[in-house]
Amino acid sequence: MIIEVLYPANANLYGELANIRYLAKCVKDLKIISTSLNDEPSFISEKVDLVYMGTMTESAQELIIEKLSHYKEAIKKAIANGQHFLITGNALEVFGKYIIDEDKKIEGLGIFAFHTQRAMMKRYNSLYLGNYEDIKIVGFKSQFTVSYYDDPSIQPLFNTLKGVGFNKEETKEGIKDHNFMATYVIGPLLILNPLFTQKLLDSLNVPYTLALKDDIMANYEERLKEYSDEATGFYY
Amino acid sequence: MNKIRFMIALLMAKLAVIALKITRHNGTNFPGIVALKICPSFIRYVAKPEKMIAVSGTNGKTTVSNLLNDSLKAAKINVLNNSLGSNINTGIATALIHGVSIFNKEKYEMGVFEVDERSAPRIFPYMTFDYMIITNLSRDSIMRNAHPEYIASLLEKYLPKKTKLILNADDLLSCRLAKDNERVYFGIAELPNDKKESRNLINDIRSCPICHHELSYEYVRYSNIGKAYCRHCGFKAPKYDYMIASVDYDNKLVHFKGLKGESDYRLLNDSIFNIYNELILLTTLCELGYSLSEIAKLLENIDIVKSRFNKTIVNDIEVVMLLAKDRNAYACSRVFEYIATLPKDKEIILMMNNLSDSKHWSENVCWLYDCDFELLNRDDIKHIIATGPREKDYRLRFKMADIHDDKISSCHNELDTPSLLKLKKGSAIYILYGTDSINEALKVKEKIVKRIKEEAR
Repeated sequence: MIIEVLYPANANLYGELANIRYLAKCVKDLKIISTSLNDEPSFISEKVDLVYMGTMTESAQELIIEKLSHYKEAIKKAIANGQHFLITGNALEVFGKYIIDEDKKIEGLGIFAFHTQRAMMKRYNSLYLGNYEDIKIVGFKSQFTVSYYDDPSIQPLFNTLKGVGFNKEETKEGIKDHNFMATYVIGPLLILNPLFTQKLLDSLNVPYTLALKDDIMANYEERLKEYSDEATGFYY
Repeated sequence: MNKIRFMIALLMAKLAVIALKITRHNGTNFPGIVALKICPSFIRYVAKPEKMIAVSGTNGKTTVSNLLNDSLKAAKINVLNNSLGSNINTGIATALIHGVSIFNKEKYEMGVFEVDERSAPRIFPYMTFDYMIITNLSRDSIMRNAHPEYIASLLEKYLPKKTKLILNADDLLSCRLAKDNERVYFGIAELPNDKKESRNLINDIRSCPICHHELSYEYVRYSNIGKAYCRHCGFKAPKYDYMIASVDYDNKLVHFKGLKGESDYRLLNDSIFNIYNELILLTTLCELGYSLSEIAKLLENIDIVKSRFNKTIVNDIEVVMLLAKDRNAYACSRVFEYIATLPKDKEIILMMNNLSDSKHWSENVCWLYDCDFELLNRDDIKHIIATGPREKDYRLRFKMADIHDDKISSCHNELDTPSLLKLKKGSAIYILYGTDSINEALKVKEKIVKRIKEEAR
């Protein structure tokens, strides 16, 4: 199996590269391609099983949008052809139409019909509990932004049960299109959500063993119980 | 109108100071809160010492502020500071209230203020510092600080143009701030344990800020702290105006070179982050006009407060309390690196447990995966105990770092950890506590000491 991590030198906040370190424990002989800002992404021209990109700073986000804009059509084509993507945190915003930050408008790749509002003085932090197909997702959100679907037919990745969705009024969360998966949930998503990781690895059709299964399941079940408890505060 | 409002605010704040003295509640921000409530521009109008120094940055600002205060007091300077209050606007307002008479006449010659880097929007528009020291900028609490570039953007936006900056040339995140401001740079020359590549999980500046190719290092200490350059475009970190050229650990000396010459000084503490803190002190004293020989005298009775490192030896077992800031992966990694340099077999109790957070929500554990727990995967670390509400998260994180199951214990209640220790003679026990768990850590230490004494009978 080959994973391409887009811009790990620049998109590496909130412990998110641990997602890849965890997959390396699950899949024997996993090959990881770390793509730098000045490189052409490998998935454009080679077979890559999964493309991953995580949370980044605001300046890195602008730079990455600029770098990926050269491959916009190729990315669209790859998504339509079923290329697997896992995109976390504000990396999701790269694929939208635009980001508004006070008087500034930052054009996104425009692959999906949503836009983002950024407010650097209004950061929010929350826990997250949602549904993905028949399983529950637990995690964290920490962001300066909210996003709005401009096309109601966009399929979300998760449906929010508790915490903030795509924006504070929207329970739909993230983007799912073919095998493209993007969510605002940050951090070690795959370590916190073994059932989701199992589904992801099943869909990649590679042999794997869920690493540290007993610990990871015990942790997931405890967190799920905690987040489902009405007494647990969801906002920091 | 503003002047009247200010005078009422000052009067009420002074009454609050008296009330707090009578009720023995010193050290709170209440006077500042009162003043800012009545007059939001209070900090602008209140009289200030003639020379003003701000100390900010992610790590080391309390230590640097204390060192600077102590040195200036040794120089018989009447220094106003906020060491008894907080480092946000209300704490600074409280200190300024103490510094003036009821008629707003300033009583101090110099002000040294520790400034929380996120408070820039509430402080810098109202007061201009002559000097601003930025120790470094690094990742801190995800919830409060997001990422260091965000903190840098706040400082950049609000820093007055007249302020001269004292910047860490070994930290590309902070040394490139506010390029129009006058500045001097400090740094530490290559040391024996430096590396050529950063091996830490956190390294927030891996790409050249000019051409975006991967940065290289002449030497790197940890994360992005070191002398960076770009092979591709020739970009280089700034040259040092003030530097520690070498450290003599055996004789406890640092060799300092500055714009006024060079001299040896007493090494105040041998941890690398405290060598940076000492260098900042030397740099600032030079900038304030002290000669190298005067600085030597000022340093004679200066020490780094040891409250963050507390060691007791009982029956040939060391019991050490060490502050490892919770939610701060960067600071915890530095503590892990420090422990790795120490001799003896070790048992470690981790109790950076965010006790205040756990009362109202479930901790965001992302920081555990930014933190170098891999540094604890060493032969001389024989046993690690996780505790508190997130004991399972810690256990999992240890295993992600390939720490063997046999070395890991966990329990929910911190006070149960002493009974899990193996307590081998000649070993050291490290209790790593967070910013809000010092009382629990003291109780744990007490129980450990008691158990060692009982078993020695």
